[in-house]
Amino acid sequence: MSTVTLESITKRYGSETAVDGLDLTIRDGEILGIVGPSGCGKTTTLRTIAGFETPTKGDVRFDDQVVTHVPPEQRNVGLVFQSYALFDTMSVRENVAFGLKMRDVPVDQRRARADELLEMLDIADLADRLPATLSGGQQQRVGLARALAIEPHVLLLDEPMTGLDATLKARLRIEIADLLADLGVTALYVTHDQTEAMAMCDRIAVLNDGRLEQVGTPSAVYERPENAFVADFIGTSNVLEGTVRDGRLDLGVVELSGSFDASGPVQVVVRPESLDLGGPLEATVEQATYLGDRTELIVALPDERTVTLRADGNVEYSRGDSVSISIDPASVCVLP
Amino acid sequence: MSVRLSIGDSIRQALSSVHTVVFPTTERERERRRIAIMTIPFFVLAIFAGFVPLATMLRMSLSEEQLFNEGWSVDAWETLATDRTYWWIGFNTLWFAAAATLVSVAIGVVVAHALEKYSLPFERVIVAAVSFPIALPGIVVAFMIVVLLGRQGLLTQTVAFFSGRSAIDLATATTIGGLFLGYVYSLIPRATMILRGTYAEVNTDAEEAARSLGASPFETFRHVTFPEIRPGIVAGAILVFRSALAIFGTVLILQGGFVVVTLRIDRELAVGFNSQIAAAIGVVYVAFLIAFTFIGLRFVRAEQVAI
Amino acid sequence: MTTPRTSPSRDDSTTGDETQEVESPTDDVDTETALGREPAFQVADRQPLSTLLGRPVVVGVLLLALSVLVVPIVTTFVSSFARTATGALPTGFVTLEHWRYVLGFGEYGVRANAIPGLTFSVGIATAGMLLNVLIGVPVAYALSRYEFYARDWVNTLAILPLVPGVILGIAFLRTYPERGGSALGLVVGYCLLKSPYMVLTVQSSFQSMDLRHLEESARSLGASWPRALLTVIFPHAKQGILAGCIITWTLAAAEFNFTYMVHTGDPKPFSLFLFRNISNAPYLQSAAAISIYFLIVVVAILVLQTIGNSGFTTVRE
Repeated sequence: MSTVTLESITKRYGSETAVDGLDLTIRDGEILGIVGPSGCGKTTTLRTIAGFETPTKGDVRFDDQVVTHVPPEQRNVGLVFQSYALFDTMSVRENVAFGLKMRDVPVDQRRARADELLEMLDIADLADRLPATLSGGQQQRVGLARALAIEPHVLLLDEPMTGLDATLKARLRIEIADLLADLGVTALYVTHDQTEAMAMCDRIAVLNDGRLEQVGTPSAVYERPENAFVADFIGTSNVLEGTVRDGRLDLGVVELSGSFDASGPVQVVVRPESLDLGGPLEATVEQATYLGDRTELIVALPDERTVTLRADGNVEYSRGDSVSISIDPASVCVLP
Repeated sequence: MSVRLSIGDSIRQALSSVHTVVFPTTERERERRRIAIMTIPFFVLAIFAGFVPLATMLRMSLSEEQLFNEGWSVDAWETLATDRTYWWIGFNTLWFAAAATLVSVAIGVVVAHALEKYSLPFERVIVAAVSFPIALPGIVVAFMIVVLLGRQGLLTQTVAFFSGRSAIDLATATTIGGLFLGYVYSLIPRATMILRGTYAEVNTDAEEAARSLGASPFETFRHVTFPEIRPGIVAGAILVFRSALAIFGTVLILQGGFVVVTLRIDRELAVGFNSQIAAAIGVVYVAFLIAFTFIGLRFVRAEQVAI
Repeated sequence: MTTPRTSPSRDDSTTGDETQEVESPTDDVDTETALGREPAFQVADRQPLSTLLGRPVVVGVLLLALSVLVVPIVTTFVSSFARTATGALPTGFVTLEHWRYVLGFGEYGVRANAIPGLTFSVGIATAGMLLNVLIGVPVAYALSRYEFYARDWVNTLAILPLVPGVILGIAFLRTYPERGGSALGLVVGYCLLKSPYMVLTVQSSFQSMDLRHLEESARSLGASWPRALLTVIFPHAKQGILAGCIITWTLAAAEFNFTYMVHTGDPKPFSLFLFRNISNAPYLQSAAAISIYFLIVVVAILVLQTIGNSGFTTVRE
């Protein structure tokens, strides 16, 4: 496994810039998630590492080796697609052994390796089946086994679970995360689903419009977003305007004491879980969405700004109800 | 001086793009090389079996010599432009092909509708049977018409039996009517197959929504289905019309006292070997076909093309 | 004649039932009393004429078209086994006389039997088909997989027949006076004339695949591009390629227009043998000659249907 480094990668298609001066490192053995809205350049980034796109500017390095112009078939990267892209003309075992066959590994060795991987992914009993006869989750396991069989420098996963149903997704992502950690695989995980990225990745890179907005551990990105885009994209958040004076934050409707080390007008991020019912601040319910275990409330503050918070699922709210709320100053994050 | 410079530049540019195709370094350049590799065999075929012969045919129409291309003469083109016979042949070819197209596409819509919307017994057999004539060369189609409308033809004999008239008087295979049936016989299968593809893409949810809102099947067809298949009908008509123009074997056998362009080309060569005129007609035909296709394709998406 | 109400049709049975519910008087009463008010819009009680007539008319047209297309084919085939054909229907079954004659086993058979021409045409058609695989499959792949300059024009050129056979024939003869009418000329001519069928069939096969990701998977696993094509992409499209082969082969085996224009000498291609029979031979003998080709087409369609084409067409199910 290797460290993958992207050095100021820029990719233009005609006049359109898909990726704009991206610097990113995937450390040896980590799972790095790339999240962002569609069209943010995450798939282009993945394809650049795989070698299917040559960057207009910048370099791709695997450890110390510059691979910018090396064709994909010589890069030794594993690819897992959303569409699985399994070879329907070959059995599951032949699919998994394909990469080794291309490397002229002797038949018995590649067969043993394929069986070992299928065993590891719990699908050994499917080895002789054709991929078209498998379920979506099983196909994705085959796709993963096939990509891992070649012991790639880096494993690239492009929205691998988007086609699967929620329960299966939840189970599979834990399994995959554990497996990749056990194998110590360097992986890049591209997804538009930030929950999935939070659950699976060691670090998350947030991309927007071809630029890197922030990269860090899931908790860093969630708790200390560097800008409003990241705050908004990762989880639900309320971004409010306020003013910091002498370490106190004035939000207009309420003043929070604490040690805020900025001064002047600022933007702050208040996560729904930092808002509690019961407190000094009066608000009116605008919308209540019952979600079973909880009710998500959108409430209007006295100055008509709205914030989202979560309430217990067993209390009924309706539009127009008056509630009082409090803000926990310790978990308010001031954007730089 | 500046002109020479820009020529030099463009040559250099062309050379460098050839160079990147032959020795690519980026993935995009490698892809270009692949595209070139995959399309070159086709271009070689198209050039040597298609474009070069067509250019030679143009030269042939301007040749002074009859048996080979030598000397220059515009006699053939003058004849073509001034002799009214040729204008009539062109006109006949067009209206006849257009009428046959119209009838075939109309029947094709109905047949495709029945095949796609109703669950008929033996559907596979029916589809196979409808597509069968696509495989038949024009001369065999002509024979099929003789089987139906010739002197011993099924329809002729049936009518003769009931009306008591002579079958010889009733035979219509070698009249313009028989020829028209011959055209329709080869075109209905093509029209149906194209329209089946169109029908397969119709949004059945919208049709069911219309039915649930109280529309009768016919109203549903008129307001929901038809607007959806209209582009397919246009595409089908264009493709079928092209096929209609190319029909030759059927006319050669049935004749029908009716001369179309393809038959005339053959006559020009068979009677008196007027190779220049035959070539000139061919050039006009190809020019028309290219222009027609060029205009027609504005109304057609590539995925609607089928045969 | 069946009416929509009782027929087991795909579109009518489900929605037909719904209409029935709305229209039935008892149901109307129920809903009205239950709701305690008049429905705002009443669905017409009786079915419009078009509903009653629509399906019978459509099915009628289908049956008429089908009989016009099929009856002469069947009659021809059946007639080829008859002794005489003077009345409306051939009589005197069963004789193999005409088949013996066209297949060259009869008394006069040596002079005009189908076998040499058929053998010749089969050879030419096979060569044209193989050439078409080499030319049509790659271009179909390039058109389905890549975006490139003037792609639409190349596509048009590849899927629409460039010129009809008659005109290509005269142009060919003048361009290649020595070779135009030879076996090689026929192979090349058939290849060009029938290539759209190959390209279209293979393209429709490619379109049903995730071409880009299949190719990229194979390449990321270490297959060079040519190897990815040969070991992954083409095997996935093998049914389409096979279908294209069958269609181009069958059409070339009996190609007439181009052959008629360019071919001179012996052996005469099969289509010229058919032509001679149709224009000169007795009715029943022509019927036998044509029936040989019918048998070929039937086999072709049966194979096409087993590999996923709907019939003798480039359209795949």
